[in-house]
Amino acid sequence: MAEAGLTSTDFERIEQSAAIQAITRPSLSYWQDAWIRLKDNRRALYSLYLIIALLMFTIAGPWVWRIDPGAQDVDQISQPPGTDRKATVVEPFVPWDGTTLIDTGTGLRLAQPATTQAVRIQWDPLTSTGTYRVYRNIFPLGEERAFGLPLAEVSGSDGLYFEDRLDLRPGTYHYAVVVLDEFGGPGERFETLEVELTRVITVYEALAKGLVASTNDIRIGDEVKLALHPFGTDYLGRDMLARLMAGAGVSLFIGIFAPFLYVLLGVVYGATAGFIGGRTDQGLMRFADFVVALPFLLFMILFKIVFGIGPGESGIMPMLLALVILAWPATARLVRGQILQIREEGYISACRLLGAKTTYLVVRHMIPNTMGVILVTLTFAVPSAIFTEAFLSFIGMGVAPPTPSWGSMCNEGLKTMLTYPHELVFPALFISITVLAFNLLGDGLRDALDARMRSRE
Amino acid sequence: MSDITSSEDGFTRTAGRQLALFFLMAIGGVAALMWVLSIAASLTSSGTTTSQAVDAETGTVTIAFTTEPPQLDSTLATDMQSGMVLGHVMEGLLTYDANNEIAPGVAERWEIGENDATFWLREDARWSDGETVTAHDFVFAWRTALDPKRASEYAFILYPIKNAEAVNTGKLPLDALGAQAVDDRTLTVQFERPLAYFDKLVAFTTYLPVRQDFFENTDGKYGADADKLLYNGPFMMTSWVHGASLRMDKNPHYWNRDKVKLNTINVGYITPDPNARLNLFKDNNIALSGLTAENLPSALENRWQIHRFVDGSVFFIEFNHREDRVTRNLNLRKAMLLAQDSAELVYKVTKIPGYLPGASLFPTWLMGVDKPLREEYPANLPRMDLELARRHLDLAKRELGVDQIPPLTFLTGDNPISNIQSEYFQAVFKKNLGLDVKIDKQIFKQRLAKMTSGDFDLVLAGWGPDYNDPLTFGDLFASWNLNNRGRYANPELDRQVRIAQSSLDPKTRMDAFGQIQQILIDDAVIIPNYERGSVYVTHPHVKGVLRRVIGADVDYTRAWIDTGA
Repeated sequence: MAEAGLTSTDFERIEQSAAIQAITRPSLSYWQDAWIRLKDNRRALYSLYLIIALLMFTIAGPWVWRIDPGAQDVDQISQPPGTDRKATVVEPFVPWDGTTLIDTGTGLRLAQPATTQAVRIQWDPLTSTGTYRVYRNIFPLGEERAFGLPLAEVSGSDGLYFEDRLDLRPGTYHYAVVVLDEFGGPGERFETLEVELTRVITVYEALAKGLVASTNDIRIGDEVKLALHPFGTDYLGRDMLARLMAGAGVSLFIGIFAPFLYVLLGVVYGATAGFIGGRTDQGLMRFADFVVALPFLLFMILFKIVFGIGPGESGIMPMLLALVILAWPATARLVRGQILQIREEGYISACRLLGAKTTYLVVRHMIPNTMGVILVTLTFAVPSAIFTEAFLSFIGMGVAPPTPSWGSMCNEGLKTMLTYPHELVFPALFISITVLAFNLLGDGLRDALDARMRSRE
Repeated sequence: MSDITSSEDGFTRTAGRQLALFFLMAIGGVAALMWVLSIAASLTSSGTTTSQAVDAETGTVTIAFTTEPPQLDSTLATDMQSGMVLGHVMEGLLTYDANNEIAPGVAERWEIGENDATFWLREDARWSDGETVTAHDFVFAWRTALDPKRASEYAFILYPIKNAEAVNTGKLPLDALGAQAVDDRTLTVQFERPLAYFDKLVAFTTYLPVRQDFFENTDGKYGADADKLLYNGPFMMTSWVHGASLRMDKNPHYWNRDKVKLNTINVGYITPDPNARLNLFKDNNIALSGLTAENLPSALENRWQIHRFVDGSVFFIEFNHREDRVTRNLNLRKAMLLAQDSAELVYKVTKIPGYLPGASLFPTWLMGVDKPLREEYPANLPRMDLELARRHLDLAKRELGVDQIPPLTFLTGDNPISNIQSEYFQAVFKKNLGLDVKIDKQIFKQRLAKMTSGDFDLVLAGWGPDYNDPLTFGDLFASWNLNNRGRYANPELDRQVRIAQSSLDPKTRMDAFGQIQQILIDDAVIIPNYERGSVYVTHPHVKGVLRRVIGADVDYTRAWIDTGA
């Protein structure tokens, strides 16, 4: 017995102290805990920042970048970002009738310096009589004798001239005049000319575009800078950045507002069905099944007609309504399942025994416990709604021109995909980034809000 | 500790190896699937889809259509695609030669007087079943086209023939038509009024012959299939798979068969997508493809021979002149006419070589008395003038008693060029005049229905020529013309159209056209946009393909294959 080495002091009463009972770590509410865990999730956090940045871009952007998204700058059509904007001021355009032909020089030559306003060429006859075809190319003539774009046929024996105004851009062009053979095809005799074009603008145009304040500030020969388009311009010379901002407004309006409405509807519907249960539940859920089976596109078109949306008017409102009316059943099912489960939990029974009213039960216990599911549904619904809007505008069911949306911009950009890729890349990039950001945030929220994952870290 | 690490490393390595294996298997699986599918596709597809664009051995040229002809009954045909096929498989009394001049067809001789015409048919003109083409076939075709029960949309083009209009409206029986077969080889025609351009009319599709016994044996399905049509042209249709392909072989009974060098025209593809057609051309599957403005740089990079063609049609914005429309106001129309510049549209927006800035309803290629009509009667369309335009707009607002013109509905077609054009004009009218324009984009049929019912303020319209005379454009805005969709009515213009229709003196007629042109400009009836052109690429071995302003376009009847070049 003595081996234990116990002394009498070991059998004294220990004083009760509060320190043992004290909770060392601060108490965390559900939301605080969720926020901490969301912050740990780097991807979700960056997605959140990205979404905030997108909202800023949409809401604050048009206040900073005050350019009308419908304004057309026909001098800068389909300009990729970062194009040189220098232009020389010249006299207004006057049609040329060939009377100012110059005598100096022989062969194919320029009658005056080539500008983006017009290229005026003249040449001496290659044969006594004959028809010439004027070609323009962006490459020098090679072995294969591909002269390029046929611009016009000119015939005559002297005073041969041609004025080219078709889609002139600064850079190098290769002109060729070819004598036509008896079948009207390009013959053996031809002359070529390499031409360097400079960008020009008239005083009137500079004034109309707001590049200068008054006619006094500008003289012929001056150099001005054309309007800046940081993201380039589209096929009608409209500013891509302004259009992306305006388009973001439409896309995010549908993307955020529609899911918010239909998730709300789904929550109310699902909660009612789950809480009441029994026959009501069966009836309500069969109706939800029925709604799932309704085709979205058909309803969208029907609403457009019922609303009296005339031609050339925006189809955004019917789109919103169709989304809200047809997309709620998924949320309703999810919430109903959760409510059914929670209804049978012990603490609910205890609460009932203590005399809690139905409203209290729903507001205090049921909704907070389904909040995680609801939020996650919401974040996943946003990208799908953005996609729906993009798709509908892509097929021409959405916004009416000139209002842009990301989807309609993609549709327009697709046509010039190979020549001017920036018209497709930018809106496509914005759709992708937005959808990805919302998806990643939804992922993070699901992990953060799931109460069962709380103990596992 | 070290043991655990190494075993963990081992796990990682095994897992990595497995992942790589799965990845390879997935790639391999997809590749195998694609291979099997491509084999399956090549087994099931018909021979035409893998054909080469040009086959010199069999004399075959493969081409693509944008759409399929709805049917090939010449008395009902209205569209260009039907016109193209019928131009190859049928031949009228007269036809157009390589220089677009009138040339003998089934008729070897003809005499056209002031009030009548006589055609003498050639002896060796044959149907594809070997029987002779007779004058009765023409009389039958024309009566069929005018039969009120058949409601042919192009019946009006026969109206210059005596009693044709009365026959078409049911006031007179079919046999009252002023066209008789004197015998098998002589056809006489009486005119409703003196007529200067009947030779050009008879080259039109609606004037093609139809043989009565064959027509009546088809149970109303004449022209619906390859074997439901009898041919008398250089080619005959040997197969027509609806929605997929169409094949025309040389007609061995054609009288001028020695001049036809191709053996087969194979329409192997029918697709409305210009990019798809260009890809087919790139892959050497078809011999001709049009180019869009977006495709031009890539065509230049490929160093193709590019051809240009002005297709003869004129495009313009037509105003609605009906009572209840604001566009009935002359000052508003003038303001809009003055606020835009067709050169900017053509050179900077549509960007296709071959388009000419519009200045008049009459295109530049129409001939006047001696020189082109537009040289003899220049169109003095006012140049863009914003100050004047705004003054007209203020006047219009005062006359209409409004502070702001209500939004205008702009009806357009649903195709890339119309889209760009309508959005361009929407911004131009907004910027220059502060007018709100709503774009109403509709498919062709729907647009036509809305044009007919007058459900528009502005419409993007076009008009292509039916025959080689300025009248094909000149009578468009006559008050009785059903194609005058805006219901413009001006007694002075009507009077000039009557003169042009019934006068035989070229000078008087051309003066009338000059007057019509001036009225259209003064009254701002239309805003001319452009004369349409196109650029296209052809296979280097195919020669002699003709593009026509009037008649079958594209015309392969005189084409040949030359691999030597």
